[in-house]
Amino acid sequence: MKFLKLPILLPAVVAVAAWGTKSAKTVDRGIDSKHLGQLQAGIWVDPNGCDHWIIDDGAEGYLSQRLDPYGKPVCSGTAPPNTATGAFKSGSPVPDPI
Amino acid sequence: MHECNAKSVRGVISGVLGGMAAIALGATLFVGEAAAQSSGQRVVIGETYIPTIWVDPDGCEHWVMDDGWEGYMTPHVNRQGIPVCRRGNVCGEMHSDQLFATNSANISASGRKHLAKFFQTTGAISYIITGHTDSRASDPYNLDLSYRRATAVASLAAAHGARIADVRGYGERQPKASNNTAAGMQMNRRVEIICIR
Repeated sequence: MKFLKLPILLPAVVAVAAWGTKSAKTVDRGIDSKHLGQLQAGIWVDPNGCDHWIIDDGAEGYLSQRLDPYGKPVCSGTAPPNTATGAFKSGSPVPDPI
Repeated sequence: MHECNAKSVRGVISGVLGGMAAIALGATLFVGEAAAQSSGQRVVIGETYIPTIWVDPDGCEHWVMDDGWEGYMTPHVNRQGIPVCRRGNVCGEMHSDQLFATNSANISASGRKHLAKFFQTTGAISYIITGHTDSRASDPYNLDLSYRRATAVASLAAAHGARIADVRGYGERQPKASNNTAAGMQMNRRVEIICIR
C-alpha cells in the first residue's frame, strides 16, 4: 500500500521544499537582496603577503584569491600581511557589529 | 513554475531517495542503481549548486554562491589553472628588439630612457615583470635569457622607485603568436609588464 500513497505524498513534500529552501544561489535573498555581481571588494593580505579579494556583504562574507594572468598569486605589497584594506564593507546596508 | 523551483525539486528528490524512500522506494532504488552500474554510471546523491560570476576589479571572474546565510567564492580558472578574465592587466609590453641586442640582457640607452619614462608616469602599486623569447635556441637557454632580461627591466624599474611584485622568465613557453613566421617570432620576443593597481 505504500506505493499507492507515494504519488499523493511526493507533490506535497516537493511543494514544502520549494517554499522552504533557497534554490537560486546567484542572488542574495532577504533584507538586502541584490545580484551577487554587484559585490564591493577590498583586499586582504595573507600572512605570506599575497592578495585576496575580501567582501563583507552583511551576513555573508566572501574571500577569493587574487591571481595574475598566468594564474600565480598577486603579492602586491599594497598593505602589510594580515591587513584588510578598501571599501569591502560598503556593499550592504545591513549593519555588521563585527 | 520557475526554473529555480525545478532545481530544488531535483534536490529534494535526491534527499527523498536517501531517507523516506529507503522504505517506500527501496525496490525502485535498487533497480535504479543496478541499471546505472550495468551502464557504467554511478548514482550521485547531491544538491544543485549553480554559481554566478563576480568580476573582480582586475577584470577576472570568480564563481560565487549565496546559500542564504553562507557565501562562497573561488576564482574562475580553466583546467590549466589560468584565470578567466574579461580584460587583461598587462599595461606595458616592450618588444625585446627595442631593448636588447640578440642574446643580450643589457638594455640599450634608448630602451632605458623609454622604460624610465614608463615607470615614472604609470603609478601602479606594483609591477610583475615577465620575460619571453621566440622558440629558437634551447628551452633552458630561453628560460635563462628571458629571466635575465626581465630582471634587467625590474632593476631599472626599482631604480625609478617602482615596487616589483615578481620577476619571471617564461622563455618560449608562453608564445602569443606563431613561431613559424618572422613577424610571429618578433611578437614572442617581449617583456610584459603587469600593473597591479
